[in-house]
Amino acid sequence: MKRRSFIRGAAGAGLVIGTGLPSVRAGLAAFGAKPNLSRVEARYYDKLPDREVECRLCPRLCRLGDKERGYCGVRENMGGTYYTLVYGKACSLNVDPVEKKPFFHVLPGTSALSLATAGCNVNCKFCQNWEISQVRPEQIDHFDLSPDSAAAQAQTAACSSIAYTYTEPTVFFEYMYDTAIRAKRRGVRNLVVTGGHINPIPLADLLAVVDAVKVDLKGFSQEFYSEYVRGELKPVLETIRAVARSKAWLEVVYLVIPTLNDRMDLIREMAKWIRNEVGDQVPVHFSRFQPMYLVKNLPPTPISTLEAARETALEEGLRFVYLGNVPGHEGGNTFCPKCGKVVVQRVGYRIETIRLKAGRCDTCGTPIPGVWT
Amino acid sequence: MAAARVVIVKAGNVWTSTGAADPGVVTRMFSRGFALLSGEKDGPRAVSSLFRPDDRVGIKVNTIGGRALSTRPDVALPLASWLSRNGLQGKNLFIWDRTTRELRDAGYATSAGRSGIKVFGTDTDGVGYETGLVSHLSVGSLFSKIQTEFVTASVSLAILKDHGLAGVTAGLKNYFGAIHNPNKYHDFHCNPFVAEVFDAPPVKGKHKVSIIDALVVQYHKGPSYHARWAAQYGGLIFSLDPVAADSVGWSIIERLRADAGLPTLKEEGREPSYLATAEKMGLGRAGLGSIETVEETVL
Repeated sequence: MKRRSFIRGAAGAGLVIGTGLPSVRAGLAAFGAKPNLSRVEARYYDKLPDREVECRLCPRLCRLGDKERGYCGVRENMGGTYYTLVYGKACSLNVDPVEKKPFFHVLPGTSALSLATAGCNVNCKFCQNWEISQVRPEQIDHFDLSPDSAAAQAQTAACSSIAYTYTEPTVFFEYMYDTAIRAKRRGVRNLVVTGGHINPIPLADLLAVVDAVKVDLKGFSQEFYSEYVRGELKPVLETIRAVARSKAWLEVVYLVIPTLNDRMDLIREMAKWIRNEVGDQVPVHFSRFQPMYLVKNLPPTPISTLEAARETALEEGLRFVYLGNVPGHEGGNTFCPKCGKVVVQRVGYRIETIRLKAGRCDTCGTPIPGVWT
Repeated sequence: MAAARVVIVKAGNVWTSTGAADPGVVTRMFSRGFALLSGEKDGPRAVSSLFRPDDRVGIKVNTIGGRALSTRPDVALPLASWLSRNGLQGKNLFIWDRTTRELRDAGYATSAGRSGIKVFGTDTDGVGYETGLVSHLSVGSLFSKIQTEFVTASVSLAILKDHGLAGVTAGLKNYFGAIHNPNKYHDFHCNPFVAEVFDAPPVKGKHKVSIIDALVVQYHKGPSYHARWAAQYGGLIFSLDPVAADSVGWSIIERLRADAGLPTLKEEGREPSYLATAEKMGLGRAGLGSIETVEETVL
């Protein structure tokens, strides 16, 4: 089942298993709904003269007059004070396999309570979730879910983690951070799925309370980021470096889009950069693109292209390179880099076998990096 | 391309003792403005030169600035009334913006009844945005159903403001309020996005006339209201050329800035470059040298 249809199917199922909460993925049909916005003062901004503010959360550094919103559409200057409008206002909530995020080296076979609010601080033309990421919160259905409730519901639903995902969690930083603190107290892990457009100070604060971060590296040239992401590559690379330096686990995903970012020389350059800057142990996922949002004129990524990208990254010395959105492909398995045996076998998001003992290959004893327990 | 014509109608006595605009004076300003714009002294003829009798006309106002700095109800309602007295049906007139809350905050009484002039936001139950994306040049947006379905012709009734990012916000940028994601189009001084949103079929295919409420002009530190830099200009700007209308609006802002000893927008590195883009796209004339400006004062 494709990711989107899975989400929709889950939404149609009614309740998040075991929580009593509605399984929700807001739809565009809900436009026109009455707004139910939070008014919680944002963190990371400067007050300026004449009721202006400058947001310091992400590299955009939006400078806003009274009554204006940032690029993300979910933070608003009201009379010289900056507020987040989405604190405790979830628009998507599902129990997902952690493999779907994807995290392949984090608690395999477990579930993650996956949470999102509206909003994003970039505008990828190929966004796979644009109906919730590229809208303002009042334009979609959402419901109240406090940080305490989210943490409690994760536990009730037997989720090992909460994943902040689907949209860009940076834009709901305050909600994510407070939820992470509460989840941590309950022994629930915190996983962040991000595009990496976040400034160093909030990132450092976040990394102190979360367990793993998956960064979507959307291309490896500024030209691509300018044209198709409406963002900057450099801050994303800085985020990857910062996560790698922290105690949080790092995985990287690269959505391979035919003709737009599938040049093998750039993929090789990216693989070298990852190896040199953050190490060969970082899992890298090459994911399959599906035509979506503003890029509907291109076909899904050929499997052969994904395989070539994987081969290229392996040639450059990366140890754990995966294919994403290709269920059943051997590139979805984790291989021991020493003996070559499969240590985690996956079919889609399902775990078939795990041959790890205390984080080591069951066959040869080589340590396999990750968060296994 | 022939010279564009922009009409500025001013009134020295537009303000009442309560600080509101006098609807009688405003109505005379509209009457004169449409006459000068169309060359028709007779109101119904002027209206019929722009609209079909059965047109459902959207009057897109800009109400993000609250009561102090939005298209005034004292302006929008007299316009709708004048149009309804001169050939259009009141029930076919829609004064609208993004949200009902912003309309109310700006002083509008909302109304969505079957008869009479309607005032409501896109967020009204049963309205909303189209579910199909309009992908046009670098723009990808959902348009308000008011613009796409409810109306057959469109008037941009904006307010004239300095804008920290765009330089100037007036008639063209007013249509940012017709899309669901205007926050995505403020990079690069909103260039080319202002021009491209206007050029998108749901707007360009219906836009008939730009009218800019310049009774009060925020010439610095906009788009928020700051009394210190808000001037009682006392004018309405009319044009069939949406680019020319905004260019003249820009020139007014520059004059007010110069009078106040402020640097030009270009000197501040934020001139409204989207106007030149709009001209290149064939949407109208941006250079003042190619715009014929007619100014009159009504009593």
